Amino acid sequence: MKRRFMLAITMMMAAAMVFAGGSSESGDGTFTPSRDVTWTCTSNPGGGSDIFTQEIKNAITNNGISDANIVIDYVTDGGGEVGRLNVSRTTGVRADHMLLTFNSGDLMPMCLNTDNRVENFTPLAIMAVDKQLLFAGDLSKYQSWQEVLDALAAGERIVIAGSKGDDIETYNALIKELGVTENQLAYITNDATSTAITSLLGGHVDLVLGKPAAAEQYVLAGRMKPILALSNERFPTELFKDAPTLDEFEGYDNVEVPVWRGVAAPKAMSEAAADYWSEVLRQVSETEDWQVNYIQRNGLISQYMDRHEAAEYMAQYQADYLAKIGKDA
Amino acid sequence: MENFMWLLHGFGVVFSLENLGACLLGSILGLIVGAMPGIGSLAGVALLLPLTYKFNPTTAIIMLGALYYSNMYGGAFSAILLNIPGDSPAVLTAVDGYPMATVKKRPGQALMTANASSCIGGIIGMLILVVLGPALAEFGLKFGPAEMTVLLLVAMTSIGWLVGGNPIQGVLLSFIGILVASIGMDVQTGTPRFNFGSIYLMGGIEFIPFVIGTVGFAQLMQLMDQKDDKVNAVTDKLTIRGSMLTAHDWKRLTPPSVRAGIMGTFVGVLPGAGATAASFLAYAMQKGFKSEEPLGTGAIEGIAASESANNAAAAGSFAPLLALGIPGSGTGAVLLGGLMMWGLNPGPLLFSTDPDFAWGLIASLFISNLVALAISLGIIPVLLKILKVPVRIMIPVIMIVCFLGAYASTYSMFGVVIMLIAGVFGYIFEKNDYSTAPMLLAFVLAPLLEDNMRKAFIATAGDISEVFFASAIATVLTIILIVLCAFPIVRTILIKTGVYTPKKKG
Repeated sequence: MKRRFMLAITMMMAAAMVFAGGSSESGDGTFTPSRDVTWTCTSNPGGGSDIFTQEIKNAITNNGISDANIVIDYVTDGGGEVGRLNVSRTTGVRADHMLLTFNSGDLMPMCLNTDNRVENFTPLAIMAVDKQLLFAGDLSKYQSWQEVLDALAAGERIVIAGSKGDDIETYNALIKELGVTENQLAYITNDATSTAITSLLGGHVDLVLGKPAAAEQYVLAGRMKPILALSNERFPTELFKDAPTLDEFEGYDNVEVPVWRGVAAPKAMSEAAADYWSEVLRQVSETEDWQVNYIQRNGLISQYMDRHEAAEYMAQYQADYLAKIGKDA
Repeated sequence: MENFMWLLHGFGVVFSLENLGACLLGSILGLIVGAMPGIGSLAGVALLLPLTYKFNPTTAIIMLGALYYSNMYGGAFSAILLNIPGDSPAVLTAVDGYPMATVKKRPGQALMTANASSCIGGIIGMLILVVLGPALAEFGLKFGPAEMTVLLLVAMTSIGWLVGGNPIQGVLLSFIGILVASIGMDVQTGTPRFNFGSIYLMGGIEFIPFVIGTVGFAQLMQLMDQKDDKVNAVTDKLTIRGSMLTAHDWKRLTPPSVRAGIMGTFVGVLPGAGATAASFLAYAMQKGFKSEEPLGTGAIEGIAASESANNAAAAGSFAPLLALGIPGSGTGAVLLGGLMMWGLNPGPLLFSTDPDFAWGLIASLFISNLVALAISLGIIPVLLKILKVPVRIMIPVIMIVCFLGAYASTYSMFGVVIMLIAGVFGYIFEKNDYSTAPMLLAFVLAPLLEDNMRKAFIATAGDISEVFFASAIATVLTIILIVLCAFPIVRTILIKTGVYTPKKKG
């Protein structure tokens, strides 16, 4: 009797363990989070990626889109590559409860410096797209794009300051279109756009390449002036609408390298969980919280893509980038 | 004068119950995170930032500002008592603070010196911030890549003779520091350097685990070396009365504190320099002035210079942040992110669009300075009890502190591995009488120098003369650099030719 009792207890405990670690999919194939959700952010708190993540989390909580308890985990080792690798390798039930902030600025160094690829993740959504402008400072020698073109034609050397990642890609596309060398139109890479702006305000560089949100206050204060929109059409907002696009100058085509902000998950995330999170993010993209506090404030373009579109878009972006840097997929 | 009126207005903003409460809470938390090795102001502010997103912006920044600020006080505690700098700006505080506490048997006075000079430096920094305000930020803008390059070169030349008497040893360790600092991502080209295929090394070596290892863990191994279980310092005078500074001590600490306070404020304003660079530079500057005892042997002047400068720099770094929306340090960058999350628009218009916020913050810095001072003085007797703990208990405690600190700075075991490796090397160096301070100084300054130098070369297409003589500031700094480099050579020649005879000591 005693032996049977012990056996029954053991069986019950084993069953409890199996169910505790088992699937969080309910019987009908839909998914609801059954434990804390870890959202990996591969940059420091207070940075652009953190603000993006926090705003999504706020929109989810404030609008009751999901009851999941989301914990943001900042994993910045190896310039963020360790965090991305960890997420890509997460399996089991944890994979359904793991999200990653993933931007074009993350994809490029990942492809350049590691073997990790978009295929190792489950893209869930693209939430917003950003574009850049070129700005002159109040101490800059050149106050319009025409003056810059004239100076380049006269053989003068012009220095642009900008940030890492996407900004460098836009700069590369610009010098290619202009047909000038890296020496004629030089680029200084900074850790952040704010550092680039510091050198422009001090008169140490000629121009700054940056996104509208980073420059807005300086344009309002009259310290900076947008002189070229690196976009296929002019920016619609009052502050930036006077900046011409490149095709408004004879002989040039537009330069536009869209910067996207998205969310990904481990490759092992179940289909049901991926559908669930993609839908949660769609609902977030439609909330007023998101539109006002994030999109409008940062001068972004709201562009929700569901997980299938996002996967296709990210894969194409990666293929284009790999081709550009001459690397195999 | 108008600025002082605004400051009064700022005090009006701070003197509300919730803002005073936030200031007090921030100061206490700052002292705690500052005293805990590994969790510096950057991690402290970053950890608390998400909690403040729901706060009123003024209350939130007052709390985080107070935390950032009082953190500079807390960093000195473990530096002086355990020889483990609580935060990176306190590295040089440990160099003199620990010998003063243990060899000179004056632990109370060492803590008191750190507190008093922190307060002096802080007040100087804040007064300069109030008087010059936005003008101070504009001054910072004048330092472009070229000016920063020459300034950092001036700082680098002082490494060799900064601590210890052997310049060759100093230069050797500086090179090791530079090499370790060059591991990681090359910012200009975006490619990894010296990472030997390791994904972890791609982001470089973090300063905090590195310093906890080289200083703290190495110290721990030395303690283990000592077979006896003696108590570190004297057991009497462990009261606040026994910790009081004499009139002579005050005479020694005031001039370096004032000098370092002024210099620290301006270094804090410079782009990217921060409190750590300020304390290093002030200590190097103090080397050029008379100290009653040689620096590095427990000199009051050394503690005063380092502590005053890091507090002043913390105050100074608010100038570009508030006036231009430009972060002067890593912590400033996190605060900047906070400003955006609170719905404010940091930038050149902040002083005019949100004066309550900007001046409220500045006023709260004054209050948090006094709160931090009062608490620090009050807990001196408690802190001194640490010295009564026998070595056999102290060793496991310090070991846990080292592991926790190294882990907390990176939230991963990678930090712990770095700490252990750095600890072994630190121990070998110390055992052979090689001071590790030059290595740490080089580690902090080298990435700044490299970044600025490469930017300056891109901006000038590699024209060296345009870097060294880019502006009046660069030219003056270049002349100082030449004098600093030429002085020992000229001196040697003059002595050899008999033109000059140095005065003999004693």
